[in-house]
Amino acid sequence: MSSRLRDFRRLGWFTLRRVLALFVTVLIGVYLTIIIANMGGKVDELRKIQIRATVSESVRADPAFMEMDSKERNELIQEQVQLQIEQRNLDEPFIWRSFDYLAQAIQLDLGRAEEMHSDSGSRAVYDIIVERLPATLLLFGTANLLVFFVSVYAALYLSRRYGSRLDRAVIGLAPSSAAPAWFYGIFLILLFAFVVPVLPAGGMVAIPPPADPWVYAGSVLEHLVLPVIAMFLSSIFISIYSWRTFFLIHSSEDYVEMARAKGLPSNLIQSRYILRPTLAPIITNFLLMLIGLWSGAIILEQVFNWPGLGTLLFQAIGHRDTPVIIGGVVIFAYLLAVTVFMLDFLYAILDPRVRIEGGEQ
Amino acid sequence: MRKPIAWVLAGLVVLALLMLLPRPAEQPESTSAGPEDGDLREAIEETGRRGALVDEVVFTQESDVGRIAGLIERGRQQVFAQGITNITAYQRLRDSRKGDYETAYGSNTELTLNPAEFEEGLNPFSNRRIREAMNWLVDRRHVAEEIYGGMAVPRYLPMNTAFPDYARLAETARSLELQYGHDPEKARRIITDAMKEMGAIRRDGQWYHNGKPVTLQILIRTEDARKQVGDYVSNLMSDLGFNVRRQYRTAQEASRIWIATDPAAGQWHIYTGSWVSTAINRDVSSNLSFYYTNRGRPDPLWQAYDPDETLDNIARRLERRDYTSMEERRELMAEGMELAMEESYRIWLVDQLSIIPRAANVALAADLAGGIAGSRMWPYTLRYEDRLGGSMTFAAPSILTEPWNPVAGSNWLFDTMITRALNDPPLLPNPYTGLYQPQSIQGAEVTVTEDTVAQRSQDWVELERKETIEVPADAWIGWNAEERRFRTVGDAHPEGTTARSRTRIRYEEGYLDGQWHDGTEMSLADLVLPWILSFARADENSPFFDPAHVPRFKVFQRYFKGWRILQREPLVIEVYSDQVFPDAETIVAQQALSPLPWHMLALGMRAEKAGDLAFSSHKADANRVPWLSLVSGPSLATLERHLGRALEQGYLPYASVLKGMTEGGNPAQRRYSAIQDWYRERGHFWVGNGPFYLHSVHPVEKTVVLRRYEDFADPADKWLDFSEPEIPEVTLDGPMMVTQGKSATFNVDVTFGGDPYPKKAIRNLEYLLFDADGNLQTRGQAEPAGAGRWQVSLDADTLSALGDGANSLEVAVTSSRVALPAFASHAFATVPVGTRLMEVDDE
Repeated sequence: MSSRLRDFRRLGWFTLRRVLALFVTVLIGVYLTIIIANMGGKVDELRKIQIRATVSESVRADPAFMEMDSKERNELIQEQVQLQIEQRNLDEPFIWRSFDYLAQAIQLDLGRAEEMHSDSGSRAVYDIIVERLPATLLLFGTANLLVFFVSVYAALYLSRRYGSRLDRAVIGLAPSSAAPAWFYGIFLILLFAFVVPVLPAGGMVAIPPPADPWVYAGSVLEHLVLPVIAMFLSSIFISIYSWRTFFLIHSSEDYVEMARAKGLPSNLIQSRYILRPTLAPIITNFLLMLIGLWSGAIILEQVFNWPGLGTLLFQAIGHRDTPVIIGGVVIFAYLLAVTVFMLDFLYAILDPRVRIEGGEQ
Repeated sequence: MRKPIAWVLAGLVVLALLMLLPRPAEQPESTSAGPEDGDLREAIEETGRRGALVDEVVFTQESDVGRIAGLIERGRQQVFAQGITNITAYQRLRDSRKGDYETAYGSNTELTLNPAEFEEGLNPFSNRRIREAMNWLVDRRHVAEEIYGGMAVPRYLPMNTAFPDYARLAETARSLELQYGHDPEKARRIITDAMKEMGAIRRDGQWYHNGKPVTLQILIRTEDARKQVGDYVSNLMSDLGFNVRRQYRTAQEASRIWIATDPAAGQWHIYTGSWVSTAINRDVSSNLSFYYTNRGRPDPLWQAYDPDETLDNIARRLERRDYTSMEERRELMAEGMELAMEESYRIWLVDQLSIIPRAANVALAADLAGGIAGSRMWPYTLRYEDRLGGSMTFAAPSILTEPWNPVAGSNWLFDTMITRALNDPPLLPNPYTGLYQPQSIQGAEVTVTEDTVAQRSQDWVELERKETIEVPADAWIGWNAEERRFRTVGDAHPEGTTARSRTRIRYEEGYLDGQWHDGTEMSLADLVLPWILSFARADENSPFFDPAHVPRFKVFQRYFKGWRILQREPLVIEVYSDQVFPDAETIVAQQALSPLPWHMLALGMRAEKAGDLAFSSHKADANRVPWLSLVSGPSLATLERHLGRALEQGYLPYASVLKGMTEGGNPAQRRYSAIQDWYRERGHFWVGNGPFYLHSVHPVEKTVVLRRYEDFADPADKWLDFSEPEIPEVTLDGPMMVTQGKSATFNVDVTFGGDPYPKKAIRNLEYLLFDADGNLQTRGQAEPAGAGRWQVSLDADTLSALGDGANSLEVAVTSSRVALPAFASHAFATVPVGTRLMEVDDE
């Protein structure tokens, strides 16, 4: 009983230290983002100039103000500029605002965007992000899961046929992954949307979107084909290559050789002697891939006109909309922290060799 | 292990094959009967078609300009709403059979010079003569043809070459353009002299001042062809012996330097600037004040402007409209332009042509300055050239950018482009001249005070002058939010008041019998409620008070002197104002009231009053509530809730006033039921009366679908004539050599599309005669000489005054159908008696 209590105490102490360490990491990461996104406060200056220029030009272009003399017009401009500066809290020093941003972000109070709106018109950062999430998850989830499972299974298969023609072909094709997905995307669009126009050039669904949900789903699938193929092509060979090498190393472990010598069936060797001990890195890879979906891919989404989180982040940077940038980063930071935290425990469950620090080795 | 891989691969192959199966190309469906190539007007008459000429317009977002030509050629999109300046796209569309384009002249490129005396070091551009000499140094034709690949026209003056004022000042403009034509030697000479006077010395081809090289910092914008312009100017300045430092910057990076810093700090000398107009501006007389005086903007650069006193006075007078006739205005403008060229705080380079890609079989009225996005007439003219009806897809770089509501919703260019199709305004600006045309009014009478300069150009408006215009005591001048009643002029000015203009507007018969898209009848309340709301939003005692509305409202209130309803059927209103414009048509357009469905507004008002939503971005942020959108997002559920309550309560805003202005029966019940059905069917609350109704909105997919409103009041061919700008094509021909002592006649042919240009549409055809030194010798009017032909006859005395040498005859043609003037020139020599003439040799 006392041993179990000691284990729990160790577990509690370990958990507390990990949570604290991860929290501090998140805190620093988010604050750095705030400082960088605002260029240490210089963005305020840029935004004020932008506001002044926009207001000046809109007043000048409006016939309603044409008869005003310059002095009055400039006073009007000044008044409107001041209103917009106050609306965006740009009259407060950046350093105070930066702590406000941090406090809100850490509490996951994503707040209101300063410049942007969600596609449906909401100013809430939560709405802005959540609105784009399904599109990102659909595209990147489909492509990444496809790449992950196909590459793991293909790698296992090739690791058993080391040196075969197929194996050599895959190794030969591995450098093709040097080109990013958007690069393949451009060629695929050119080929299948313009030369042989059988697939849409971009977007998530047909224009106008079909009213029938089944037809809508079919249309989304149709639009998904080219970006998924682009992502698949850009990473499948290198992924197979790296997993294959990984499995090859593990296939030559003594205990695997022993199992082979004992004449165990190859399926059993694969599942019990190769996959089981390598589960921890596979799961790590899988989980990091899953949270990696969060960030989307800016250029690929631009090329395919896909309404995902990557485009959103790109727009937020363009608008210098700090709350949206922070919102995206803080959620990613928390997801990463939780994943790392979970992995610590998963390792202990999956691999009996792993023990909590201070325990028996 | 093999099996799963084989299944996955097989699945992928099947999926790929399914996707690759050839399918028939999607064709827009034509829902109306119509001939393949027949006369559209006949087809419209036969079918009795009303409203729009196409059945459906789908808007979608496309940000990649490089794909547009391909998408149009493939028939996937028919129009790209943004003007593009990409030369490759332009050439591809120009050479395409399936693609074509509209042209817009709204943007320009100039060199902004820093005229300040620097705190340290020499600034050559603080010297007026050097600034002026820059005009001779730059080769605008090279910039237009080589750098912009032909997608620009040279520009010399602070006014757009496509705007009416340029046409009005055509001869002055032409004269100044010749005077400031490319002459690098002259520029070099003047700059050298001026630099020496400023204490600089030239050594080994390099300018030095106080022993240090004279360095010019050139701020070069990198996003477009201004990068090449900046390099071109840098090379020119480098060739002159200046040490040039090129600073390549984006818009925001550059604005920190050229707008925000003190110009005397010497952080820059030249900036590659650009200005954009989104619609034809018929009065650019304030340009002198804006571009050349410290009144232009409060920013530090403008405060460094210290123009010649005469220019300053002229700019001030033009800005205040301190002139007694259009002729005096023209003279002031002409003199101001000359002085502005001498001052040259800016070196105007080109008016850029942007092209608006469209399918070759599509026609529509695009604004000469603002393109399709700036055109009010596109919904009325958009069509396939070979058929009636069908669906069309518009792409734009961004749509649904901000929440849509008609009070203080999104004013983004492409959002307003769409919403314009949903409402039918009383007047529409002509996309080619900027002059307003009546859409749902019969006519108007404008009365201005005798000291006001105004002119009318069209028959539907009458213009008269009176010594004083008394505002009647029963006219409404405001709204009393506390007492919920109109304030009359009698209340506000018991002693009486006057106005500078009175505009009496007669709406079309049955105007108020029209219907909104949801099937409800229009009423006077639709016209009056938006007006009351505007006052309420500026009143601190009102729940609709919005500080962001106040500055603009104050300006309106300063000029507004009252209005009243003279007659309900047909509707006649009378508006009194101190605000006047040079065109009587513009005065009417500014004073005409546009209706909005009161029941749609009422829902928003209820939501704002309850603190659930806010019409403006400012108020939404201040109260931390959603910005009201009638078409999407979290607002919809809130509006639906308020709709339910409004229906229960029979809510009519400001019932004490509006009750007598609504349609008969139980208007609240009818209206709210109608909008409830509308919402259930279409998923949004936007109701209008335009040629299209809002069919559906898909925010995440960034798609908006408009469909033709079949019950629209006007026949579909009402604006069919406005589909192409009739820019005159001018050729000038005549003798190449003229012997002294003889007269000569030159022929001017003015055509459009190969047909003679109608004489009645020619507003002015003026000739300018320049001698061998480029000095203007004489000017005059050409004489009509048959269909599309005009003649310039120069007598012997006039020609003798030129002396011997090469001369130039220029003609400037201005049309009432298009703002853009057309020019042609003819070079000829005057030779002494006895010289053998080429024409004789030919014989």
